[in-house]
Amino acid sequence: MISSYTFGIYPRSEELIEATRKNTENLDSLFRTETEEYISVQKNANLGFISDPLLKWDDIFRPFSNLKSVNLSSLNRIYEMNTFYRILSFDGLELTDSGNVVQSHLDSSLPKNKTVAIPEPFTFTELHTSKQFKEKEDFIINLAKMLRIEIDSLVESGFEVIQLLAPSIAYNKEVDFGIVSDALKIITNGLKAKTILHTYFGDVSKKIESLLDLPVSGLGLDITTTPASSIQKHSFSDKSLTVGIINSFNTAIEKPQECINLVDEINAQTKPKESYVSNNFDLEYIPKEFAMNKISILGEIARGVKDV
Amino acid sequence: MSKMFPTQEIGSLKKPADMLKKVKDPNVSDEEKIKVRNDAALLNIKTLEDIGLDIVYDGEVRRVEMYEEPVRYVDGFEFAGRVRSWDNKYYKKARVVGPVAFKQNFHAEEFNFIKENSKREIKVPVTGAYTLADWSYDEHYKSKDELVLALARNVVRPLVKDLVGLGAKIIQIDEPAATTHPAEMDIFRESINESVKGIDAKFVVHACFSGNDYKALAPQMPEIKAEQYTLEFANRDTWNTGLDDNARKGFHVLKLFKEHGFEGEIGIGVSDVHVNEIESPELIRDRILYAAKALGDPTKVYVNPDCGLRTRTREVSFDKIRTMVKGAELAREEIK
Repeated sequence: MISSYTFGIYPRSEELIEATRKNTENLDSLFRTETEEYISVQKNANLGFISDPLLKWDDIFRPFSNLKSVNLSSLNRIYEMNTFYRILSFDGLELTDSGNVVQSHLDSSLPKNKTVAIPEPFTFTELHTSKQFKEKEDFIINLAKMLRIEIDSLVESGFEVIQLLAPSIAYNKEVDFGIVSDALKIITNGLKAKTILHTYFGDVSKKIESLLDLPVSGLGLDITTTPASSIQKHSFSDKSLTVGIINSFNTAIEKPQECINLVDEINAQTKPKESYVSNNFDLEYIPKEFAMNKISILGEIARGVKDV
Repeated sequence: MSKMFPTQEIGSLKKPADMLKKVKDPNVSDEEKIKVRNDAALLNIKTLEDIGLDIVYDGEVRRVEMYEEPVRYVDGFEFAGRVRSWDNKYYKKARVVGPVAFKQNFHAEEFNFIKENSKREIKVPVTGAYTLADWSYDEHYKSKDELVLALARNVVRPLVKDLVGLGAKIIQIDEPAATTHPAEMDIFRESINESVKGIDAKFVVHACFSGNDYKALAPQMPEIKAEQYTLEFANRDTWNTGLDDNARKGFHVLKLFKEHGFEGEIGIGVSDVHVNEIESPELIRDRILYAAKALGDPTKVYVNPDCGLRTRTREVSFDKIRTMVKGAELAREEIK
């Protein structure tokens, strides 16, 4: 058995979708009930870490619009998806705020073994804008400082694993890993929690060596875009490896035994320091009933994979 | 078309609120609902004609939405539920659970009605195979290519063939997903060519703008069996009048189409469908004249909004179309 978790934004039920559109009186209680439901399904699946389904979040960046220096800007497509996010315009020179922006948008009833996912600095700089920081290097470093304050607050409140979402590192053909590394150092240096960098929305086969050099505890790889055969060529002896085995972009339900065999094979070749299984990216790309089913399947896969 | 700079719409307009209220009301009879839909279609057709649009449709007033509408009538699909587009906006997404197949011409009623009620040229928008595949969960086919081609051959082609049989002369294949996956342009090209194979009509392809400014589409254009592309330009152009490259930033890519050997028509998006501000006729004129020069042949330029106007109010939409028609008139005067 290995550890497991799901991360990102989870799908709202049809009832909740309607309630958010019509702003119905029972909206808050629906948010509460569905959050509890998602926490329960994760617990029942025996996932190693439990996450808030983030049902109130409009996109993975939106809580950061509450930073004093940020203004909401136009809608933009999130890479090749048929889903859009709001561009944040970081207009102030001082990006750091109270350090409570993410924390205040999380459910307080999560159990002790909890995890949370927030975008890493490179993805922020690629998908958002700044009026003050014209040079990408300045922007990313200042974003990292802001994120560190947020993450410190999360760690203090008991989050043991911080997932860093890195779609831009996967999608962009050109990535300056020197800058990425400098920014991540600000986030992880002396941090009393594990950090796992999740890449998705692109094949990272040719970037794995560079990713392995980054100052994070582990890497999460989406095996629907990065073939297992590419991952298996590398040693993960100094890093944890999360195999993003649950496909959040297809309703087809994974066959547990096939997944167990695949993860066993990857682990046998890569010999990771620690092994996890997870979804490949936000479950909100599939409707709720499929997401619930896939969370249970993830637990089954984790139980079946051999210890490393 | 013999007229220089013909004007046209892309497809969708916001539905009249009173029509929506009645068609959703369980107490309104089916007969009354048919009448309400016909009235709304007629209102759109006549408004567009009165404004002076050269090529018309009915604002897709009978269609639920461009993905959900066709999927309802195609074998092999099952709706899975709604997924987020942005914020609290969601769209229905379907699973492909078996071989896809055409059941009936789901646009026949609307096309026949428009044909009876308009003397203008009619352009029928049809959702393309690539977009239908890209916006679905495929649980049946072995690859995306296989699904796209099955949709092209077994759904879009029979639909288009039937519409042409009913008298349709211009078919616009809507492919908003096409440019979102630059690496899959080969599949997209093949899907259009398979969709139109053996059918005698004028084919227009509508593709939305994506991050790479149609650069992935440009090399494919001469190989795709379409006479015209209706594309977005206004949403990244400046609002300054003028014919210089700085003023017309959004239209630079036209030169690339020519460099890649595309010699067909371009329906240039001269009106930004994402903002309420109305472009001036002079701005529209300059966008048209710049495009005519970039393509090297004014007869290749058709004039339309960037995309369907359904996200704007009806007032804003018709104002935008009205200004577009005026801008085209100004451009014609300049080129005389």
